Amino acid sequence: MIRLEVSLSHRFPEFHLEVEFTASAGVTALFGRSGSGKTTIGNAIAGLLTPERGRVVVGGEVLFDTALGICLPPHQRQVGYVFQESRLFPHLTVRQNLLFGRWFSRKSSQLISLEQVLRMLDIAPLLERRPHGLSGGEKQRVAIGRALLSNPRLLLLDEPLAALDGFRKAEILPYLERIRDEAGLPILYVSHSVAEVARLANTVVLLQSGRVLRSGETEDILADPEAVPLIGVREAGAVLPVRVEAHHPDGLSELRADAEVLWIPQCTAPVGTRLRLRIHAQDILISLKRPEGMSALNVLPVTVDALHEGHGPGVAVRLTSGPHRLLARITRRSAQALKLEPGTSCFAILKSVAVAQDDVGVSPH
Amino acid sequence: MSWLSPEEWEIVTLSLQVALWATVVSLPPGVLVAYALARFEFPGKQLLNGLVHLPLILPPVVTGYLLLLLFGRRGVLGAFLEEHFEVVFAFRWTGAVLACGIMGFPLMVRAIRLALEAVDPRLEQAAQTLGANRLWTFCLITLPLMLPGLVAGAVLAFAKAMGEFGATITFVSNIPGETQTLPSAIYALLQVPGGEAGALRLVVLSIGIALGALLISELLARKASRRISG
Amino acid sequence: MEPGKQPRWKFGAICVLGAFLVLGLLSGRPAVAQGRVLVFAAASLKSALDELGHQWQERSGGRVVLSYAASSALARQIQQGAPADLFLSASIEWMAVLERDGLIRQETRRNLLRNRLILIAHQPRPALRIAPGFDLSGALGSERLAMALVQAVPAGIYGKQALTALGVWEQVQGQLAQVDNVRAALALVVRGEAPLGIVYASDAVAEPRVAVIDTFPEGSHAPILYPVAQTTESRSAAARDFLQFLTSETARTVFESQGFLMVQ
Repeated sequence: MIRLEVSLSHRFPEFHLEVEFTASAGVTALFGRSGSGKTTIGNAIAGLLTPERGRVVVGGEVLFDTALGICLPPHQRQVGYVFQESRLFPHLTVRQNLLFGRWFSRKSSQLISLEQVLRMLDIAPLLERRPHGLSGGEKQRVAIGRALLSNPRLLLLDEPLAALDGFRKAEILPYLERIRDEAGLPILYVSHSVAEVARLANTVVLLQSGRVLRSGETEDILADPEAVPLIGVREAGAVLPVRVEAHHPDGLSELRADAEVLWIPQCTAPVGTRLRLRIHAQDILISLKRPEGMSALNVLPVTVDALHEGHGPGVAVRLTSGPHRLLARITRRSAQALKLEPGTSCFAILKSVAVAQDDVGVSPH
Repeated sequence: MSWLSPEEWEIVTLSLQVALWATVVSLPPGVLVAYALARFEFPGKQLLNGLVHLPLILPPVVTGYLLLLLFGRRGVLGAFLEEHFEVVFAFRWTGAVLACGIMGFPLMVRAIRLALEAVDPRLEQAAQTLGANRLWTFCLITLPLMLPGLVAGAVLAFAKAMGEFGATITFVSNIPGETQTLPSAIYALLQVPGGEAGALRLVVLSIGIALGALLISELLARKASRRISG
Repeated sequence: MEPGKQPRWKFGAICVLGAFLVLGLLSGRPAVAQGRVLVFAAASLKSALDELGHQWQERSGGRVVLSYAASSALARQIQQGAPADLFLSASIEWMAVLERDGLIRQETRRNLLRNRLILIAHQPRPALRIAPGFDLSGALGSERLAMALVQAVPAGIYGKQALTALGVWEQVQGQLAQVDNVRAALALVVRGEAPLGIVYASDAVAEPRVAVIDTFPEGSHAPILYPVAQTTESRSAAARDFLQFLTSETARTVFESQGFLMVQ
């Protein structure tokens, strides 16, 4: 069911924005470099910016349509906006900030209660404090809670973790996963961070210079070798849905991806949890024969599906293993030496320790 | 510690009354004009800005004369107001309030505009996305955040009103009990040989009131600032 | 041109200009030097004195500078050392103050002019005449009588004297609109904001838009005299000459055309 329809056109002095995309429930990531127009799209959807031409429909309600002459002011759009710099009201307590939107929302449909938000974001101890003394991560969690409590049709997050350090980011990501899975709202997540997108998004819209390059399911986009230049060679990598089988006493966790087994350093998720694993393309080795006497624990039989040559010495290779795909980045020289071409059977090798904590997230459901 | 004579008491209380009313009455339009100048672009904006600052540049007597032309009993607006609303400014303390209010208006608008411009418009945007329309955003977010500046502007206007002479006496003349404010009384005393002593007493009183107002405003502004920064 | 990289000559030029400015300010000598006569005169004498100043300059070749303000302000300035040569006051009291302080040459002091106090109106009122106990309050109705400050400004002081002498002060004292100078009272009557006003006869001459009702009897108030004197500081022979000129027949013509009377 389509929850968000966006089609915008606006001419800026620096570039021309011309986008069109739709989104369903779950997290839709707007991914692109700085200056690709992501924030502009967010502002246009929220009504903080009026594009020259376009149409925005959220949950069946037309918020903006130049053809019909509709342009709802921001306060009528019910778009919960979480800004990069939190923008909490300094003269109000956390509680007052959270409940600010409550006042103005129609009482008829309160999707989320204060208690739910406090629990989801773990901010109950902060209630009577002022924004002044909160840490960056705490501020962002309050900002997210505030947006949720304004009874929005759509949650819009504009690079919400950009102003935080790595530690705080890692701290908040689980909360965002929870929001994604429990809040029941369509979420638009604007970001230039592949890690965040890989972890959270159901669908990805790739933006470049104000235009949509491609859009689709996260697994498809991240496994697409042709998207590698835009995503970045170091950041590129597919995501793999897995299930926690067991935790072993030597500190490794056993994960199952259909027929195959993967070993990663111990994760905290209980047995049976569905996880999403992000595997960096540059961490995968390809071998024509199954290797022996080697340290890496993860050896998966795969078939070469597609190759894409970059400008440099590298080549991106999409490998399939059953229904799943992996992305590997190797040198062109090696690809030629191994005579890799679509259909070649080979093995994908991944070091367990190459998988970081950040690369492991809860699978969207 | 010499107490004041009954006439002096009357002068002081009238001055305070006029200055307080002048400040209170000019606050809403002052905030409105400051908001328009700070947040909007519109044709005629510079003209409005110039008009607001006129009382600052014109000799007070000229301002007083203009008020007389407009709001005197035979004045363009004065006659209309008297006939339809029974509002009279000429030779009444209400006229003194009008004169003092107008003279202090530019100072107030400047201070409030500065405070407004210091309020982060991104916070106002955030409030709007949460469902607050412009008016609510203004009342709940902008106004509390610019409160220290607002207080400063009000005090400036009050102080100016306490010291206003030229426009007041030209517009509503000097009528003990109605329009004889402290500056009028001081002026009259200085006209007479030997009146300096009496004038000095009133001057000391004026300074005392001004300092008192300043002190109160400092306290209020500090309290408001503390609320904002938690 | 990048900031901070102005050519040297510009900087030098500004310095030189600045030096000239400072020197000019410092070297400004008061008008006493170079035989210029500085006259401090009450504001009500402006029209008459401007004309006389011109005539004197023409016939004598000297220079006269006329400075007008309220008599009280002028007197205080002289007390503080203002370099005036002549003081022409609208008030006896302030001249007396300067005399007491030894700031004027007593041998030059004389009463130069007289004036009369009149009642003016916004519109002609043939039925209204000044007489002891006349119904001024009734004539005002609910409106006010425009006057200069009755306790401070000469015109107001004389006015109150006159009204008291005629026995009508009690009835009108709550109906006054007092202003800081007599011309402002005139303006109120011109505008119609006040139906009646008390001003000098000389003020009415200058203003055709008011109707003169009547003149207050001379005995009802202290004589309205305009004393003149040369200051002790003044060493100017030209000042003496101008003072003499002010008592001449030519001066009389000009003064009387403005509504003043010469003192014999």
